[in-house]
Amino acid sequence: MTTLTILPSKRRIETEDGRLLGDCLVAEGVDLNLYCGRRGICGKCFVEIVSGDVPPPEERERVLLEAKNLDSSRFRLACRFRLNGDLTVRIPGPALVSKTRILSTGEGRTVALDPAVRKIAVRPERPGLNSPHSFVEGLKTALGRPDLRISPDTLFSSAAVLSRPSSASGAVTAILGDEDELLGLEPGDTESRLFGLALDLGTTTLVADLVDLADGSVVGTAVGLNGQASFGADVVSRITAAFQDPAQAVLLKEAVIASINALIAEIRRKAGVAAEDIYETVIAGNTAMSHLFLGLPVDGLAVAPFAGLFSVAPPLPAGRTGLDVNPAGRVYLSPNLQSFVGGDICAGAVATGLAFRPGKVLFLDLGTNGELVLKTDHGLQAASTAAGPAFEGTSISCGLAAREGAVEKASLRDDGTIIVETIGAGPAEGVCGTGLIDLIAVFLRRGDLARDGRILVPGKKLPFGGGLALSAADIREFQLAAAAVKTGIRALLASEHLSAGDLDEILVAGAFGARLNIVHAEEIGLLPRLSGNRVKFVGNTSLEGARALLLSRRERLAAEQLVREVRHLPLAQNAAFQQTFIESLAFEPWPARDFAAPGKQEEK
Amino acid sequence: MTIELFSAMAKSVIEGDCQNSASLARAALLGGVPAAEAIEKGFIPGIREVGELWEAGEYFLPELIASAEAMKSALAILRPALSQGGPVLKEGTIVIGTVEGDIHDIGKNLVAAMLSANGFEVIDLGADVKLPAFIEAAEKAGADIICLSALLTTTMLNQRKLVELLVERGLRNRYKVLVGGAPASPKWAAEIAADGYGENAAAAVRAARALMGKG
Repeated sequence: MTTLTILPSKRRIETEDGRLLGDCLVAEGVDLNLYCGRRGICGKCFVEIVSGDVPPPEERERVLLEAKNLDSSRFRLACRFRLNGDLTVRIPGPALVSKTRILSTGEGRTVALDPAVRKIAVRPERPGLNSPHSFVEGLKTALGRPDLRISPDTLFSSAAVLSRPSSASGAVTAILGDEDELLGLEPGDTESRLFGLALDLGTTTLVADLVDLADGSVVGTAVGLNGQASFGADVVSRITAAFQDPAQAVLLKEAVIASINALIAEIRRKAGVAAEDIYETVIAGNTAMSHLFLGLPVDGLAVAPFAGLFSVAPPLPAGRTGLDVNPAGRVYLSPNLQSFVGGDICAGAVATGLAFRPGKVLFLDLGTNGELVLKTDHGLQAASTAAGPAFEGTSISCGLAAREGAVEKASLRDDGTIIVETIGAGPAEGVCGTGLIDLIAVFLRRGDLARDGRILVPGKKLPFGGGLALSAADIREFQLAAAAVKTGIRALLASEHLSAGDLDEILVAGAFGARLNIVHAEEIGLLPRLSGNRVKFVGNTSLEGARALLLSRRERLAAEQLVREVRHLPLAQNAAFQQTFIESLAFEPWPARDFAAPGKQEEK
Repeated sequence: MTIELFSAMAKSVIEGDCQNSASLARAALLGGVPAAEAIEKGFIPGIREVGELWEAGEYFLPELIASAEAMKSALAILRPALSQGGPVLKEGTIVIGTVEGDIHDIGKNLVAAMLSANGFEVIDLGADVKLPAFIEAAEKAGADIICLSALLTTTMLNQRKLVELLVERGLRNRYKVLVGGAPASPKWAAEIAADGYGENAAAAVRAARALMGKG
């Protein structure tokens, strides 16, 4: 029996001699950075031996100690250290995995850095007359990976770096993908330059984060428009454009690739990062967007029963996608859960940690499709409702996407006047989704609008400044969108025999504005009312989830598990759908106990 | 007295009051008002006004449905009385459905309800209806109009296919084809050589009446 004491926590554990120190620490919940996979190569898991027997360092360890200026009498690699007698170790900060906060708004969570791509600098032994091994074998030995996989492309692209005369340091940097695959080789030590791209691939809007994979920090963000817009504003029109026409599908692919590349160029310029340094890309988009990004046919999505080609796509060599990133890198698509519950929603579930939240939680993403996932103790269930583009402003006469000049907030002053705030604080050019919700709440409060949606002021227009006004058709359009979402919520709750009041939390996602006024959304009946801040606006979870999937392989496994776990609730086939939809059209606050009471649904 | 009764009938439909419309229909029969007259002078003007209120943006789906229901209750009582020798109220017979590949049917249901409330005999085939099934149902019922709904630009193509199928089977002149749904338009209707287009339930009633030569 050996006693291991861990500092600074002073935790003591009983363990066995002969075990690896690193494994003991991980088993104790220490987030030790085992970046190179316990091979003693990367030098990230150096711990300080405070008391106990310190064996002499291995040769490679000695080089790393020197390079890191660490005291060779006290520091050892936890991943190589075998216990032999009682030991006290101190875990310095750099030996821990960095953690990154996901979700800038709402309830954030942290993700431990564990990217699929990693860089390891090594000094392979040069072949000599006495050991004429090949350069590749020398590299495998230096990396501690006899089974390193090298594709033909990588062999060719790495040949020059492998075989060129040794530089001063003799260092080369291997870029390793998942499962010990060599993705590339760079001369010198470039470990500190490894970047990833997280992209929210929206039907209308694209948002990208450039992430430093060394520490998970976001070094730049850019927003742009999806160039596929010229083929139609909404998802269905894109599907229609590509329907039964592979040549058109290619054009749609080219359009979106061009838009993403423009975004990458902008973000790189701002952050000063070379395209070659971006080795990993994660894209979260709806099912149609992910198919069209790859140039795959969407015919299955065009007609009932609406089936996509894939849920989980294999990680693609970046060079095959046409993205301006390192062609040897990989592109990972956030998995599609179901036909119309796509990778954007999967990313949202990942970002919010939905499957692991306690209690009954409703996640909804308000976009052209209102997508919903209900988490209960019985698992996860998803539904998709065709809300139409009202939340994204497209079908509203003065509607705008959430961009500069869009009214994103409105409130009523005591004297009855309406105050609006625009994105960018400039003059109002139109209204985006969050602004629309505010305006409807304000007009209802002021008595200009009836709960059934009739405009009660002369002229049948609802002006809100700057010559802008909502028309009767705008209100009707919004009622349809809101009713679709409410019907989806009700159907999901009913299928679990729940009322809205039974929910512990409601998480509202969407890229339709930065600030959703929850009180207004409850007042107009879009969302159920829960006491005590349990209805939360969590923002663009598609982007945040993409970032989590970029940072952590574990998050990817969790996402892929969702594909198997999430059950689908078909709405159109539900006999009560139409009745519920019609009842949901009015701007009435959600009833305290709705008609989702047990035994009142599921007539087939 | 009768004039007051007629306006009460119209009012019951406009207000979507099922119970009231039914009792007014019964009162008419008991009071010796001919069923045809009750329908044409009482209830039909009510449902017409509902159509106008809809088009003016005053009425929305819930009101429309309630009115159609009120109309239905009244007609259920008055129709049997019609067939006893008097003139038969029948604007025409319509086969309606959402086309193959499309499962959206709220819009179609509304159109069906309004057509029915306006005196058409309506055979509703539901959603995701195979194209030959429209023709078979129309043949069987001796229908005048085939009414096709589609909510997706992809499934809308099946409206064209139905017209082609009618041509193929030599039945194009036997039926009028009326199309509707979010992606459809008068231009689309002209392009596929349909006979009419209805932007919404009220417009569909107008278009159907026009096709029956009763515009």
